[in-house]
Amino acid sequence: MTVLEQTRTPQVKAQPRWRPNRKRSPLGSKWTPYLFLAPAAVFTLLFQVIPLAQEIYLSFTRTSLLNPARNQWVGLDNYKRIFGDEDFHRTLLTTLIYVVACVVFAVGAGLVVALLLNRGFRGRGVARALVTVPWAAPGIAVALIATWMFNAQYGIANRILDAIGLGIPGGAILDSPTYALPAVLATTIWQLFPFTSVVLLSALQAVPQDLMEAATMDGAGRWATFREVTWQVIKPTVGLLALLMTIWSLRRFELIWLMTKGGPVGATETLVIDLYSYAFDSKQLGTAAAIGMVGVIISLIVITGSQLVARVAEKEAHR
Amino acid sequence: MRQLRLGLTARIIAVLVVLGIAVFPLYWMVVTALSSNADLFGERPRLLPDLARLNVFVEALAEGKAAGWLWNSLVVAVGTTLLSVGLGIPLGYALSRFSFRGRAVMTIVLLFTQMLPEALMVVPLFALFRRFDLLDSLAGLVLVNAAFVLPIVALILKGAIDGIPRELEEAGRVDGARPLSVLTRINLPLIAPSVAATSVIAFFHAWNEYVFAVTFIFTPGIQPASVGIANFIGELGTPIQTVMAVAFMFTLPAVTFYLFAQKYVVSGMTAGAVKG
Amino acid sequence: MSKQRLRRALTAATSIGVVAALAAGCSSSEEPKGPDGVTTVTFAASTFGDPGRGPKLLDLLDEFNKSQNEVRVAAAAVPYPTFGQTILTQMGGGLGPDLIRFDMPEFAAASDAGLIAPLDDLIDVSQYKLHQQPDKFMVHDGVRHGIIFEASNYAMFYNADLIKTPPKTYEEFFEVAKSLTNGDTYGLAFRQTEAEMAGVWQDIFNYVYGFGGAWSDGKQLTINSPANLKGLQAYKDLYDANVIPRGADAATFRRMFAEGKVGMELNNGGYVSATKGQNPDLNFSVAPIPFPVRSQGTILAPIVINEASPAKKAAATFIKWVLRPENQVKLQEILGASSVATVTERSAASLAETPYLTVFDELTESSLPHVVLGFEAKTPDIRKVVVENVIAALQGKIDLKTALDRAQEQALAAVK
Repeated sequence: MTVLEQTRTPQVKAQPRWRPNRKRSPLGSKWTPYLFLAPAAVFTLLFQVIPLAQEIYLSFTRTSLLNPARNQWVGLDNYKRIFGDEDFHRTLLTTLIYVVACVVFAVGAGLVVALLLNRGFRGRGVARALVTVPWAAPGIAVALIATWMFNAQYGIANRILDAIGLGIPGGAILDSPTYALPAVLATTIWQLFPFTSVVLLSALQAVPQDLMEAATMDGAGRWATFREVTWQVIKPTVGLLALLMTIWSLRRFELIWLMTKGGPVGATETLVIDLYSYAFDSKQLGTAAAIGMVGVIISLIVITGSQLVARVAEKEAHR
Repeated sequence: MRQLRLGLTARIIAVLVVLGIAVFPLYWMVVTALSSNADLFGERPRLLPDLARLNVFVEALAEGKAAGWLWNSLVVAVGTTLLSVGLGIPLGYALSRFSFRGRAVMTIVLLFTQMLPEALMVVPLFALFRRFDLLDSLAGLVLVNAAFVLPIVALILKGAIDGIPRELEEAGRVDGARPLSVLTRINLPLIAPSVAATSVIAFFHAWNEYVFAVTFIFTPGIQPASVGIANFIGELGTPIQTVMAVAFMFTLPAVTFYLFAQKYVVSGMTAGAVKG
Repeated sequence: MSKQRLRRALTAATSIGVVAALAAGCSSSEEPKGPDGVTTVTFAASTFGDPGRGPKLLDLLDEFNKSQNEVRVAAAAVPYPTFGQTILTQMGGGLGPDLIRFDMPEFAAASDAGLIAPLDDLIDVSQYKLHQQPDKFMVHDGVRHGIIFEASNYAMFYNADLIKTPPKTYEEFFEVAKSLTNGDTYGLAFRQTEAEMAGVWQDIFNYVYGFGGAWSDGKQLTINSPANLKGLQAYKDLYDANVIPRGADAATFRRMFAEGKVGMELNNGGYVSATKGQNPDLNFSVAPIPFPVRSQGTILAPIVINEASPAKKAAATFIKWVLRPENQVKLQEILGASSVATVTERSAASLAETPYLTVFDELTESSLPHVVLGFEAKTPDIRKVVVENVIAALQGKIDLKTALDRAQEQALAAVK
């Protein structure tokens, strides 16, 4: 077995599995876990679970923002209406594009940056610290500076594009149905890549140096080394990041709302923007709740789907 | 040998490009804050900060309100961090070490809450907070922010505790220690990086939060900075320089705090993730 | 620390934390009278965020507070970008500020939902000389819901250095706009992005009514009427002719106007003070909008009392104080070129400084608020539908006639 093949066989666990004893836990009385849990559980119940239940209920009603206590039961009407609406189909498509782009570019850029920062060089610590700056910047501040940078008349983005010959006639970026979404995505990924690169950097640290050296000695090229050694080790982390990015990008609201409000003509309208617009502009809480539920169901599908894929992949690996 | 040096140079250039991209917008915030109208709306934009105009920052602070906003943001952020990490450590420990009825359910519920957009929850939470008289108070904001950030804090800490071999605790238990002190004496020091990481996550979430802050706070005196900045986007004109100055002052503490803690975040965040 | 004490300490800390949170939250805005017998009422107005007028308005509040010691008015914290949404959420939740300066569409929606207190018993309006035309919109089904705080009519602002004589017809207007557009200077500017939906609605209102159109005839929606098509075509022609800085938001192009980079703008009276504040040296003047029909929009902002307010009488005291003739004059000075609730006379000094104030004042009788007559409470929904479709036509996705037909259709569905 070469070193490369060795990486694919899982190591045998050295420790025996610890089985908990329910009746008399060696960790103390039976009630200890619940004591540990209680405050957090009550907290979550009050502030997340109950409002969610209310929202589920609201999605089956016709309720106005101006009188949230008065709910008229309409059954599946809200759902029928939004799914019959052409604009909602466009919203779903825009959301899909947004999510996929976020995942691919945030994880991709993170990987590139992580690889760059993996080898030692002078000032690496500073570089690692500085690269995380975008993640720390507050959403509203980012929205403000990004909107200014993409300003059609005076923004630096246009000046740079003009300077390198890629100028946009008229200069409208956030106002253009073609360029609005890329601009918003660029800003979003700018905010996200520090997070993914930090996580991937840590994962890269776990790649055993001796395996890397052995691979080189075996005569493997850079790409093969990456594919057989590095990638195998970071695969689970990449998967986790992809999942996390998917779920998070389904929620992202501030940047899009403050930069374009979902315009122009729905070019940047994702599910969450639609939800907010229905709730606070049209004051239709019922429809907004229905849209929210659609988003939650999509998240659920993504999570369960990824679990299934992971389980299948594991079975494959063990064959 | 030459190939290695070329690789190193290329790498450094690439890193510089990446850093440039990462830092540029913040740099631009400062330059814009320090630009005069002629600079901003003229033919050629100003590329370097005009340090002669630093008083725009002083004026923004002297307004009186900006300092208050930043203080309110700090109170909310620190409160959220303390509350969510304080509740998250026992929760993470319980999820990791104990086997009890409803453990699976709890984990799923926590994962599930990560999927809920804030915009969806504003109205029901408004009604709830009104009933408990928590509106128009920084304490209320602390509670709602902590509620949203607790699940991920707990899950990260659970992952970190998972990564600690149980033998270490067994040793403690043999001595007759109760679970709580096992937690504090043995686990906490080991998961310190993760605690730092989750503290950073909680701090950021609260510092940057806008939707609840704007809906739940009525009195100008307790507005956090995320809402305060929005005040500048006036109906009849946004003084860009002042807005950028305040935006930068709002960004700076978060970034500084992060630069301090990032060492721990790197190891802390992935303690469980890589193994899990 | 021993395990026992640590566990107890943790439990204690958590419970104290929760209790403290609840107690801190108990700084009630429910109990109006403070310990010194002074009732505090909160007043929300997006004007407070105005760099020019905000501070002066706060000074006016101070004056009121100093003039008596029973009621104190404090400005409430609601930033402009999410003003309507925030206020309506709070009011819908049974709270919100005591006094609110609304925009018409939100005013209509809120009064329709019963969130605004009737004023008939609290204020006797017969003793004031109210502007009759705009005041009509304050009364629904015989019940008065608001008093006009500000009526800001739309007129044409122009850079007097660039334009010697203001245009008097649409054709002249078009020509002037074209001739001035050169390099980084534009002849005209108006809002055309979805991010500024309310602003676009206000801007196109002038074109629709200025060409003899209307959104409804009081009973039926007439969004796709031929006159509307003419007016919006005039708007679109200007967009297509590239005489406006496309993609520029209001904040940007108003700055440009202040810097002399935009020649003309259709804007409301409140903007006079803002422009002067941005550039005191700008030589600009104002003329009526040169469209075929003398009918334009006005930012009609009523001040209302929240139905959920526990201090309605105290709030009414403030309104009555503002309605006093001498305070009406003061308020008008602060607001600039707007009109207030009552008929006032401009001081000779202010007229000498700003001669075109009379232009604005004379437009009051021909100005309409930005609501759809007969469908006031549904204005926000109709507005959304119309603006989205008009922007789609501007962007070239559909032609204007189809856009208006679609808008009519969708609006009818929205008001059912």
